[in-house]
Amino acid sequence: MDTTLYTNYNTSTAKDNQTHSNIYKQSSNGEAAAIVTDMQSSTNSHQPPSQNNHTHTSTSLSCSTSDPGDQPPGTGKWASKLLKECARAISERDSSKIHHLLWMLNELASPYGDCDQKLASYFLQALFCKATESGQRCYKTLISVAEKSHSFDSARKLILKFQEVSPWTTFGHVASNGVILEALEGETKLHIIDISNTLCTQWPTLLEALATRNDETPHLKLTVVLTNTSIVGSVMKEVGQRMEKFARLMGVPFEFNVIRGINRLCELSKEGLGVQEDEAIAVNCIGAMRRVEVEERDAVIRMFQSLRPRIVTVVEEEADVSSTRNDFVNSFEECLRFYTIYFDMLEESFPPTSNERLMLERECSRSILRILACDGDHHEENNTSIESSGECERRERGSQWAERLKEGFATVGFSDDVVDDVKALLKRYRTGWSLVLPPPQQGGDNYHHHHDQYSSGIYLTWKEDPVVWASAWKP
Amino acid sequence: MPVDLDNSSTASGEASVSSSGNQTVPPKFIPKKKRNLPGMPDPDAEVISLSPKALLATNRFVCEICSKGFQRDQNLQLHRRGHNLPWKLKQRPNKEVKKKVYVCPELTCVHHEPSRALGDLTGIKKHFCRKHGEKKWKCDKCSKKYAVQSDWKAHSKICGTREYKCDCGTLFSRRDSFITHRAFCDALAEESARDQPQVIVNTNSESEPKLTTSDSPPPAPPSEAPAPPALHQSTSLMSSVFPAQNPEIPGNPPRIIDEAQTTTAVIGSCSSSTTTSSSSNGGANSSVFASLFASSTASGSLQSPQAPAFTDLIRAVSRPDQPADLTQSSSSESISLCLSTNHGSSIFGTGGQERRQYAPPPPQPTLSATALLQKAAQMGATATNGSFLRGLGIVSSLSSSGQQDNLHWSQRQVESENALAPPCLGLGLPCDGGSGLKELMMGTPSIFDPKQTTLDFLGLGMAAGGNPSGGLSALITSIGGGLDVAAAAASYGGGEFSGKDIGRSS
Repeated sequence: MDTTLYTNYNTSTAKDNQTHSNIYKQSSNGEAAAIVTDMQSSTNSHQPPSQNNHTHTSTSLSCSTSDPGDQPPGTGKWASKLLKECARAISERDSSKIHHLLWMLNELASPYGDCDQKLASYFLQALFCKATESGQRCYKTLISVAEKSHSFDSARKLILKFQEVSPWTTFGHVASNGVILEALEGETKLHIIDISNTLCTQWPTLLEALATRNDETPHLKLTVVLTNTSIVGSVMKEVGQRMEKFARLMGVPFEFNVIRGINRLCELSKEGLGVQEDEAIAVNCIGAMRRVEVEERDAVIRMFQSLRPRIVTVVEEEADVSSTRNDFVNSFEECLRFYTIYFDMLEESFPPTSNERLMLERECSRSILRILACDGDHHEENNTSIESSGECERRERGSQWAERLKEGFATVGFSDDVVDDVKALLKRYRTGWSLVLPPPQQGGDNYHHHHDQYSSGIYLTWKEDPVVWASAWKP
Repeated sequence: MPVDLDNSSTASGEASVSSSGNQTVPPKFIPKKKRNLPGMPDPDAEVISLSPKALLATNRFVCEICSKGFQRDQNLQLHRRGHNLPWKLKQRPNKEVKKKVYVCPELTCVHHEPSRALGDLTGIKKHFCRKHGEKKWKCDKCSKKYAVQSDWKAHSKICGTREYKCDCGTLFSRRDSFITHRAFCDALAEESARDQPQVIVNTNSESEPKLTTSDSPPPAPPSEAPAPPALHQSTSLMSSVFPAQNPEIPGNPPRIIDEAQTTTAVIGSCSSSTTTSSSSNGGANSSVFASLFASSTASGSLQSPQAPAFTDLIRAVSRPDQPADLTQSSSSESISLCLSTNHGSSIFGTGGQERRQYAPPPPQPTLSATALLQKAAQMGATATNGSFLRGLGIVSSLSSSGQQDNLHWSQRQVESENALAPPCLGLGLPCDGGSGLKELMMGTPSIFDPKQTTLDFLGLGMAAGGNPSGGLSALITSIGGGLDVAAAAASYGGGEFSGKDIGRSS
């Protein structure tokens, strides 16, 4: 498989005016073997040319298999292999190898191809910028392009469509809403501090649940925190109007506030957030913690503590590009692993020509670039340009977040009801999704009798891989 | 139309809509059959107050030998025969047996008042469970919870088979995504310069007095009121129908008004759905894509996405101090924006410039959420479109825009409407006592004109699932009937339920 593809490269080199590498995939050329073995000295993947090069799209996902020999012919993950090789070459500053690999990747990659081609395309961009130390510039270009096409309509359409086809975000919404509703049950003045980037799409169902609650409908204050760099900032006016409208409709007394101009989340305070003494506070943090600078994360958690919330919900995507952030190759591989899953999920969730899918992938491309290629020039350019250019999504795994959060909070288990809600949610999406509860802390036998609760969060998995982690915390 | 047909205790607004439609579908004046508002028993009846325990107990009659419990004394007596114990079956009750009515033990419940007692034991049991009991039956598929097992069973049968439809034409099989979409969809949420709260207020003040003068008989709300036939002719109906005026019964007055709003809004709501569907077909998408395209051109470099040929890269790699043309390599970002073509059908039907305006509705905590969503659609329609004639025009256009087989029907409707003089109050109530709204809501077709197709004006009802629902046709006919019928009917339904519970169960 690999042989075949590498060979294809060579063919296209020979006809170097061609830009669409797909055309050449089926051909093979003996010349290429030299290059292949040169780069893949550790592998013995001289398999016969594959018959079906077009189908290496979606099957084998276990990224841990780095040995291509393990994979069935025709389904090899050439993108992953080439990209990793290239990342290693960059880290070793082996310029001729970088040269070759970037060249090949450029031939094979396409943002409109299959998953491998897409991954190759976006990671190639990051690798290229890393190699040329041009990440900042490229990132700014991408951001400005994205901002130009960003409108309320497009953002709304994108996010709702995504929620319709995939539980990736709705999982966290359902879990968090369930926990928040339980924690604030019976309270008459609720104040939810929403630090997330989902355009308030989490809240209509919560408003509805509040409206139909058995006890008196409480007053809800929703304070949405936007950091300076958040691209969703420009559309919050429309979002706010809709939330207010919807709350009126639901008969929920409602106040909507947006906090802007925050450079760092840890700068938030009770006063700044308008927290009143008689309010029951919930802090809802979805995909927000990973955008905080790694060094500031503990400070943000302390800030949460200072708000004296009843409940804090934290939902994050399951990957670790935080602890490995100074190790380019490791970061790269983890990043690639995560986005391989994500792209596979997108491919199976959306129709092939979906514009929304393309937009989501493009979001990924920015994030990938930011993670992998923008740190190098961190010290060379001044800090403000980096901060204004967007947040770096240095994800951590659920267990890592839990360690941090345990400094200030105690874990709150998800009740059976909430777990059931999440399960019911997943049932309505296509197969491949499931809910994984962490192993019980106190030994398997008695945990069922213990609290009917699950500790340290729950995981959404896509084809066995945990991808999103949801958790709840109280002081 | 009612999204939640499965639940017998769905929002009363929905219930009443179906019934009003039912009344008016056969376009002739049918002698009215009066039914009692549930909980308006014969004043001579014996009022029985059972404890919560007794109501919840499934087997109140227990055998002292084997501790087996029975729901009825009769059954226990039969059982006792097996133990060779003395047993006695009751005589068949005399015709003159005193009527019994039952009150709810919950002090705050409207049915705690003897004047609102329910006519049979099963009814009060179900009422008590639904409204004041624990919801321990949970649907596997959607997590919805029920207090009464039979409700749960009924729901389980049809759960997931129905779809929610937004005005913009988007279908949802999941309620939560429907709700989220609803909150964000322009079909609902547009609110701007042309604020017309006054219209709503007017509608209110017009319809409310008419509520009290219309004497269209009340449909029985579905759940806890299998109105006993014996209690039929209540001539003082209209005065008693509105115990809402009685301050002792909390929650009623606002609810009646709310329901009136809902239903009057229904009349106009046909316009809302069509405005959207028509506008969503044309301009929206093109403009979206136009803007996408514009933005991509603005960013320059509309070259081939593969433009950054490897030679550029190579050059750049070998000379890192002269980075390759980044504009070019990033051009893939902008170019791919043009790929949006075949997604013509936007989920939001957006873009129409002539959006309907919605006056802000007052807080209405007593309606079910789904009913509220419907109301939202209806509100706007009312605001811009009070006349039923205009609504009819829109009916036609809606039909033509997708539901072909409804077209002929709506034309027929036009004719029948011409025959009717609005306000056609009290167009008769073919809903016979006992059949109950639950059946109506479940789509039992027998009482409907079989030829009648249903038309989903609100876009809220089920678009699929096969049950032609009375609610839909009701909407249509409420156009002809004018505000009054619908409003009046709504008020009947509205009087019955505690809205919170309704919402919770829906």
